[in-house]
Amino acid sequence: MIQNAVESLKWFAPEAILVAFLVLIFITDAFLPKARSTSLSFMLGCLGLVASIAATLKLMPLAPTLYFSGVVAHDGLSSFFRILAFSAGILGLYAAYGSKEVEDKYRNEYTILILCTVFGMSLMAISTNLIMLYIGIETVSIVSFALAGLNRESLRSNEASLKYLIYGALSSGLMIYGFSLIYGVTGSLQYDLIRTAFMAMSLAEPPAILQLAILMVFGGLAFKISAFPMHFWTPDVYEGSPTPVVTFFSVGPKAAGMAALIRIFLSVFAVKGADMTWTVMPGSNLVLGLSVISALTMFVGNFSAVAQVSVKRLLAYSSIAHVGYLLMGLVALNEKGLVAILFYLVVYYLMNVGAFVVTGLVIEARGSDDVESFRGLGWSNPFLGVCMAVFLFSLTGIPIFSGFIGKFLLFGSVVDVPGLLWLAIWGVLNSVVSLYYYLRIVKAMWLDKPATASSQALPALTVSSYHLVGLFLLAVPTLVLGVFFSPVLRLAKASVAALLS
Amino acid sequence: MLSLMTFIPLIGMVVVLCLPKDKPQWIRLASVVTTFIPLALAVKLFMEFDRTNPGIQFTERMMWIPMFNIEYYMGVDGLSVGMVILTALLSFLCIFASWTIDYGVKGYFAMFLFLEAGMMGVFCALDFFLFFMFWEVMLLPMYFLIGIWGGKNKVYAAIKFFLYTLFGSVLMLLVMVGMYYYSDTHTFDLIKLAATHPFAGKTITLFGTAFAMDKIFWLGLFIGFAIKVPVWPFHTWLPWAHVEAPTAVSVILAGVLLKMGTYGILRMNFPILPEATMWAANAMALLGVINILYGAFCAMAQTDLKKLVAYSSVSHMGYVMLGMSTFTVAGVNGAVLQMVNHGLSTAMMFLLVGVIYERAHHRWIVKPDGSRGFGGIAAVVPVFTGVSAIALFASLGLPGLNGFISEAMVFMGAFSVPRLQTLTVIGALGIVLGAAYLLWMFMRVYLGPLNEEYKDMPDMNWRERLTLAPLIALVILLGVYPMPVLDLMSATVAKLLTIFA
Repeated sequence: MIQNAVESLKWFAPEAILVAFLVLIFITDAFLPKARSTSLSFMLGCLGLVASIAATLKLMPLAPTLYFSGVVAHDGLSSFFRILAFSAGILGLYAAYGSKEVEDKYRNEYTILILCTVFGMSLMAISTNLIMLYIGIETVSIVSFALAGLNRESLRSNEASLKYLIYGALSSGLMIYGFSLIYGVTGSLQYDLIRTAFMAMSLAEPPAILQLAILMVFGGLAFKISAFPMHFWTPDVYEGSPTPVVTFFSVGPKAAGMAALIRIFLSVFAVKGADMTWTVMPGSNLVLGLSVISALTMFVGNFSAVAQVSVKRLLAYSSIAHVGYLLMGLVALNEKGLVAILFYLVVYYLMNVGAFVVTGLVIEARGSDDVESFRGLGWSNPFLGVCMAVFLFSLTGIPIFSGFIGKFLLFGSVVDVPGLLWLAIWGVLNSVVSLYYYLRIVKAMWLDKPATASSQALPALTVSSYHLVGLFLLAVPTLVLGVFFSPVLRLAKASVAALLS
Repeated sequence: MLSLMTFIPLIGMVVVLCLPKDKPQWIRLASVVTTFIPLALAVKLFMEFDRTNPGIQFTERMMWIPMFNIEYYMGVDGLSVGMVILTALLSFLCIFASWTIDYGVKGYFAMFLFLEAGMMGVFCALDFFLFFMFWEVMLLPMYFLIGIWGGKNKVYAAIKFFLYTLFGSVLMLLVMVGMYYYSDTHTFDLIKLAATHPFAGKTITLFGTAFAMDKIFWLGLFIGFAIKVPVWPFHTWLPWAHVEAPTAVSVILAGVLLKMGTYGILRMNFPILPEATMWAANAMALLGVINILYGAFCAMAQTDLKKLVAYSSVSHMGYVMLGMSTFTVAGVNGAVLQMVNHGLSTAMMFLLVGVIYERAHHRWIVKPDGSRGFGGIAAVVPVFTGVSAIALFASLGLPGLNGFISEAMVFMGAFSVPRLQTLTVIGALGIVLGAAYLLWMFMRVYLGPLNEEYKDMPDMNWRERLTLAPLIALVILLGVYPMPVLDLMSATVAKLLTIFA
């Protein structure tokens, strides 16, 4: 553990670089005229994120360390999730550039807010201290409220922001109460010290107050990843917020939330069993609780998505369902489960962002995100139609698309754990349901006649090459990772190795 | 060679996609070439296949994903070689049957070639993971082929087909994952699993109850395959898909896709889970007989030609199920031969329905208002009537045509097993029923007084005659001398049966 703050700075380089660029953007925003500063701040934002990724990569192969007196960790997991956080930022900026949904006068603010959120996400991923975690989560949350309400004149955007704020405040309160209970019982906020205190107690019968605390902490993080029963805000916020913001919300904070969950479960709540599987606090039946939450999350997500007309809402519910799948890996909490989560997040990034970007383009051109407004898209814009179909089939989890490999790993991780087979069966049945609603969009794009008696032929979209290239870059790995995925898998394996040893 | 047969259509797909949209003849030509090469290779395969070797031939294997021990493992034995050849033949002929597709030509042929690649892969793959990839890959082109180029209720039919088959596949996916984790060697290699069959006697816990592992696996696989066959009560997608699909797709569906179900049972359930197969043999025979009778009765009630042929497929696949469940040399050989024979005769039937539909733009035997759909057309279209008669008699099992031999073998095999005698006697009624519905249909459509509406109906043109000619030749040849096909499979079947002796 490195106590010295100056020595620690080296390990904090990715975040430090990010903050430096953030300040730079503030300055350009203040001193340059709006018209010139918007694209400059966009470029600076991208550059900052890329530089942060580079810094992360440079730090990567080193041994795990705790620094800043142990409140943050440098290990494989933090590197992996830092890269995910920074990439989410890049994707968020990519989605917004050229989008009319973000008003021009707020573009600089948008870039700044995204970078702030990314900073918070990165903190969530690396923190090994409850207060640090809380700071990370709050940084993400507070900035997210502003992002959701970015278009100040839009009623929908305001509504989304307010809803997000209210739910966020509630869950945040719950979580900090849980933290205080843990502190009260163990006398520490530091993950490793809490764990030592846990081990010293008789864990065969954990005190009820501790179980309550764990429940509350989970509740707070469940809000961030929008798992049942803290998912209610998701569809409303996704529907009301500008699409580029939603694109970012649907991947970034979720990945960061998963990182925090993995870390807290693995280094605080989990106890390694004799048979090399991980059991979570014997006697408290957290495994059952978590698997039920996973099952309900996918159920609620999938079955609510079936009835949606708005594609943004549909994708919001689908993202809830995907959190349910991701939680399967957390239930298993073994190497396979964690590797599966990491791999799935990478894939989920690609396909979900892709789907939202296409949706954004449709909204811009046709003014609505109803499934109907996708009608005939495949015939008028074959490239968009093919890309969207690839993303949707990948989200369903059909082979040769990377989503299948992700699901295969997740389901495999629970099949391997005795007594959890039902969750795997539940999971695959849920993916059959998900096919139904994803297919509705594919059907509208390709199968429905471009024009019927009741509706006019919808004109072809004019899409800039900027978006075409971006979509191409998202669609190709979605396909390639479906047949050639060993490198990502190896990376994921290396990232969790230190935590598990 | 097998890889070439699988991937040349895929290359063809890429070529087709690169050709200009306004040159349909080029697209058709490219499709002819890329389906002809696999056919030529299939002929070579037929020549070079070692009929005395019961094992895997033409093996191609290399490590694909070392982390999970997944191999690219292709090869054929007596069970699959006939299906590979049939697939190559029908795919080639179907290109000509698709000549009249008039919209979205490029997409149609691309999807069709994609489908051929998937089908070839399924019959050649000997690694479960690879098999599953190919199995699922076929769903996508099939969905689009039915959904875009189909008839009036195409969208409903396409979605029903997709959902049913996906439901079956996810069960298969679970079994696949289970087999991997519960086999001591952690392998997807079907041949290795068959050699060791490691699942007998183990138990698996589900909802707190212990089940016999091999029986659970058997059921999971069986339902997955039964949906494809389709075995009653999983058959309801089939009439829809058949009726709505364009002619060539119906041919492929009935000629090749249905056989994948029974092929899968023979490839996996039989050798990998022999104890469970013995346990379920009587149930399988019963389902087979139900299929025979139920399919026949349903066919008799149809007023739509295509639906009649579709239900006759249900009935004919029942013979395959019955033959397999006997574990006798005659029965199992008969079943595998029936797979080939039905592929040929049902392909003829569907092609002929396509011919008449192109002329009359309907397929009613009796129109919904009660009037005659056709009648007496034998006088107007003699060639068409003659070819139809051959197809029909082959289908109802007239001695001298191919259907007779396989059905006779199935019943010989089944009757020699005491436990199945009663069922066999009941099942044999299917032959009478088959004759009844087919002859009744022939009478109402071709014979009797001429329906004046069709007095100017043109007879088959040269393209149609040449498409059907190879099938006519094979139907007669295999009816007189089935040894070329029987020789292919007998060694492998004999080896398979040693497990059950």
